[in-house]
Formats: sequence, structure tokens, C-alpha cells
Amino acid sequence: MVTVTATGMAMPRETVKVSRNIYKPYLMTIVDMRDETHDTRTLRLQFKDPEVAQTFDWKPGQFAQYSVFGVGECVFTIANSPTRKGYIECTFRQVGKVTSALRDMEIGQTIGFRGPYGNWFPVEEWEGKRLYFVGGGIGTVALRGVMQYCLDNRKLYDEILILNAARTVADLVYKSEMDEWAKVDGVTLVKAVDPGGETPDWDGKVGLAPNVFEELKPTPDNAILVTCGPPIMIRFMLLAAERLGFKPEQVYTTLENRMKCGLGKCGRCNVGPYYVCKDGPVFTAAQLAKLPKDF
Amino acid sequence: MLRKRLTRENLNKWIDGLVASGLRVIAPVRERDGGRGARDGKGGLTLFRPITSSAEIAADYTKTDLPFKEWLFPPTEVILHYRIVDGEPVLEDPEVDATKTVALFLRPCDAAAIPILDSVFGGDYEDEFYMTRRRNLTVVGLSCTEPQPECFCAAVGLSPTSEAGSDILLTPVGDEFLVEVLTEKGEQLVNQYADLFADAGDLTKEQVTEQAIAKMLRKESLPTFAETYSELFEHPVWEEIARKCLGCGVCAYSCPTCHCYDIVDEATLFEGVRCRNWDCCGFALFTLHASGHNPRPTQAHRYRQRVLHKFAYFLQTYGRNMCVGCGRCVIKCPVGMDIYEVVQKVAQASERVGV
Repeated sequence: MVTVTATGMAMPRETVKVSRNIYKPYLMTIVDMRDETHDTRTLRLQFKDPEVAQTFDWKPGQFAQYSVFGVGECVFTIANSPTRKGYIECTFRQVGKVTSALRDMEIGQTIGFRGPYGNWFPVEEWEGKRLYFVGGGIGTVALRGVMQYCLDNRKLYDEILILNAARTVADLVYKSEMDEWAKVDGVTLVKAVDPGGETPDWDGKVGLAPNVFEELKPTPDNAILVTCGPPIMIRFMLLAAERLGFKPEQVYTTLENRMKCGLGKCGRCNVGPYYVCKDGPVFTAAQLAKLPKDF
Repeated sequence: MLRKRLTRENLNKWIDGLVASGLRVIAPVRERDGGRGARDGKGGLTLFRPITSSAEIAADYTKTDLPFKEWLFPPTEVILHYRIVDGEPVLEDPEVDATKTVALFLRPCDAAAIPILDSVFGGDYEDEFYMTRRRNLTVVGLSCTEPQPECFCAAVGLSPTSEAGSDILLTPVGDEFLVEVLTEKGEQLVNQYADLFADAGDLTKEQVTEQAIAKMLRKESLPTFAETYSELFEHPVWEEIARKCLGCGVCAYSCPTCHCYDIVDEATLFEGVRCRNWDCCGFALFTLHASGHNPRPTQAHRYRQRVLHKFAYFLQTYGRNMCVGCGRCVIKCPVGMDIYEVVQKVAQASERVGV
């Protein structure tokens, strides 16, 4: 006789242990952390398995599922470049259940990590071009990996402009490493905060990111613009880019939709027929223009 | 393809033989105890349940109250176990059901849903939980002779006798069954009991098909929107359609093809599981971002997703639409939403805007 459970489902008679579980995370140790702002933190993680630490590879722009056991999983970009291997960094803002639990974790503790997922910035196609990176608030995090990649491969690209913007000085991420970016030859760093977000000793620009970018009069010739920020900023950045003469194919951004599986199956992050987790998160403005407004 | 014939008596012998051979045989069974919401006036629900004898099979069922889906993709499932030992998480791979199983008497609509689920859970990043159960499953379909008022399989490219998803398809013709053996898996089940089956000879299902389709009330081929969804996206028709939708999710939960899921942790201090649970695009929290932003803030956005996923996006990605016309969502909806009518309404609206 088969045993029937309360829900009516029969207990299986034969079972096997899964061996290629796509939902099984790697275990990673928190080896370092840094507070970027009052609510945003960067964690440095190391794989517990030395073999995985050796072989794990990813592309700039890909993301992962980070998990606190007993609380749940959460999606963040891999915030460091594959040119800086041996560890993984993520920067997250404490806004919900998992990020709050993650914020409570201490150095030496273990979290789960599965990935890398999604597509990436086509950094090979960009070789020889001028690069503009415009990040707003936590959106700069999505650009950090690809910025590091391009800075580490400095010779492959023409001049680089980085605009790191935020609502207020307090919300600006990566304050402590921006100087390091600026020191690289041929890199211009501009920092900006929204009007009213400045402090008396603020030495950056004051203005909304799209306006500040436009005032810098960046030439679209042989250039690539990569931007990420809150939806409203992205919308106005795309308009600014158009006014500056950028073609939609020259403009890249990333979409962030709520995700669960990261594998194109759970049916949640789609924008029209495309899954942000699999077909994205990186899209050009030309691709976005064709998508239904479902993000 | 092998074609055989089988008498009713031999059908029961075959089923009892399969049970005796140690296979798990799952078939429509009338659950008399504890069933709620039955509409057949006979008490209980008809559901796919393991049987120990052919006599347990619900003899006169037209369609099970729930599809076969739960046997391949259970409503809740552990996808990871962990324990905290000395402060450190220790991961354990869960066990997955690998029982050799025969699913009996799926109606062609329910059988056709299985290849649809296969394309989601297979492919890149194969889902081992689903695929292990799937590999151990053989499907014996049963053609439908009594389409119900809500049915519309013929409107979505299927028919009451279509083969899609079945390894073997039985069609009642007169006092016997025509047995179409469609796959190698199916052949194995038939070959072991070869003496029960006779050659099909001139037995055909054409007339049965015709008669069944003639009884079907809704069979006008439904349009799809793979080419036109962009233009339709902002159409006011969605608001009009979704106004009465309660967002209860019964359509998705009773759908043989809906497969959206959530992943959540359930834990005590020192032990826990990560579970995969059925979810539904009609729920307000489904796409809600942690920031508070929601790409689908109203029921109109969410119902649009349901219709376009089934009749546009899935078609574009996997080459067929994601509805098999079983009509369960139609009979179960508490406010009478009818996806057959909705799709026609959207198509009419698209004509009005000249799409």
C-alpha cells in the first residue's frame, strides 16, 4: 500500500538524492565589510571550497543569488570585476527581510551564493571607444564591476568619464574608492548630488545626474554610455543621451526586476517575452525601446 | 507508431498487471472523503491518485478537478536542506521522487500540458526535481468523448483525441479501445503484455474525433498575440477585462500549464529548508520590488501578464501557446472570468486599434 499524506499526495516508494541541484548555493565566508552609506554595505566574500575559489569565473554585469540560511535569497550584482578574482563583492541596501538579516551578519560568518546568472556588458565590443559611466545612488553598484574591468584594462579603451551621483552626500556610494578611480590615467571623475543634498564642504557638482551629464557636453562620437540608477533617473538619462546625439545602440543600462530562480523558470522577472534574469540584466536603449513597459 | 486494439476487460487486466508489476499507477479517483467544492452532485472530487486496482478508477469522470501537474510539480517542495552545526551551515541535497510511474487516463488537454512544462523545467539549467519525476513517468492518455461546456481544446490547436504529451493514447471506439503507441516508453508498457492487445486492423478514431468536436461548444480557433503584444500592451481593454478579477489565483493553481513559483526559507534556529512553492502572477506581491516599486501595480497589469504569457510570450519563446483549453480556470473562477472570451475580446480590441 502507498502511504497517503494529509494533502493526498502519496509518499514516493523510491527516491534518489539530487546531484546537480541548480538551487544549491556555494558557501561563502564574509571576510571583510565596509559601510558605503548609512544603509548600504559592501561585503567581501570568499568561497569555502578552494577548488571553486580557483575556478569560479564571471563576466562584468552578471548577478547572483545571495542567501542567509533560514531567511531567504536576494539578488545583487557581482560588484567586483573578474579581473579581481579570488573573492566576490556585493553592495546592498538594507530594505527588506533578507538584506536586514545580511546586514546583521558578521565577518567570519557564512552565507549562500549561487550564480553567475544573466548576460553581461559586451566589454570586448567597446574596445577603442570612449566610455561614460553614469550611476545614480545604489545604481552605481551595477556599474562598479564593469568600471573596474575597464580601469584594469585601461589601454583597451579611449578616455573614461565616471559620474557618480546621489540624492545627498550621505547617499553617495563608494566614496572611499572614487579617488582610486580618478588616479587612473585618462579617467575623469565627476561626483554630483541633487540640489539640496549637498553639505557645506561638498566639493562636487550640485544637480540632477542627467543635467550634470548634459552640462559636461560629452561627445557621442565613438562612445558608449553606461547608466544605472532609479527608474526615473534612467528615463531622463535616456532622454539626455538622445539630445546629446547618442544612438540607442550606444547606450547601456541594467534592469532590476524581482527574481526568485535566476534561471528563467519561476516566471516573475519577465518584461514581455524576455526574462531579466536570463536575457538581461544588461540591455541597450535600443532593446528597451522595443520592450513593453513592464519594468 | 504501433496501433493496437484492446477490449475493456483486457484494459482492466493490463492496468492490474501494471500495478502488480510494482509500477506506481496514478489514475483519476473519486475522493469521497474530505472533498470540498465538488460540482458533480455525487460528492467528492475526482483527482489523480495512486491506485492499487483498476476497480478504484473513477469510471465516469469527464475531467479531474485538478490537473496532473501536482505529480510533476508539487505545490510545495523542498529544494535544499540545511543544518547549523557549530555555527556553520551544512547543506544537504534533498531526496526526489524517482518512483517508476504510469499516469493513466489523462485527457488530451492534460497530457498536452506536460510537454509545455518540460520546455520550462528542461532546457538550460535543467531542474532535476521536475526532470527526475518526468523521466520516470509514462503517460497513457484517454481521448475525450464528452467535452464539457467550458472546454475549448480545439480552439488552441488540440483536439479531444490529440496525441500531444501521451506515450500511449487510448480512444474508445465502440466497445473497444484503439491503442496508439506513440513513444518507446509506451511500447515498453504494451510489449510486456502483448497477449492482451490485438492488431488495430481498420479501427480508427476519426469518427470519435468528429463526434467529440461536434459536441464542443467553443472551438473557434483562438488568436495569439506574439506579433501584436507591443501595440496591445497599453490598450484600455485590459482595465475593462480585469475590473472584476479578485486576484485570488485559483486560475493559476488549477491550470495544467501554469508553473510560476516562489522560493522561501522555512527554518528553526538550527535547521531549515528552502522550499519552492506555487505562485501566481495575479497576486499583488508577485513582482513587488523591495524598494516599493511594482512594475504591475494593478490587477489590469497582472491579468494582462496572465493572458500575454499564455498567448504571446510563451509562444515566442517556445513555439506554442501556453493554454490547453481544459477550461478549469473558467469553471473555478469565483467571478466568472473566462479566458476564452477574454482572448477574443482582446483580439477584437486589437482590431479596433488596427493592430
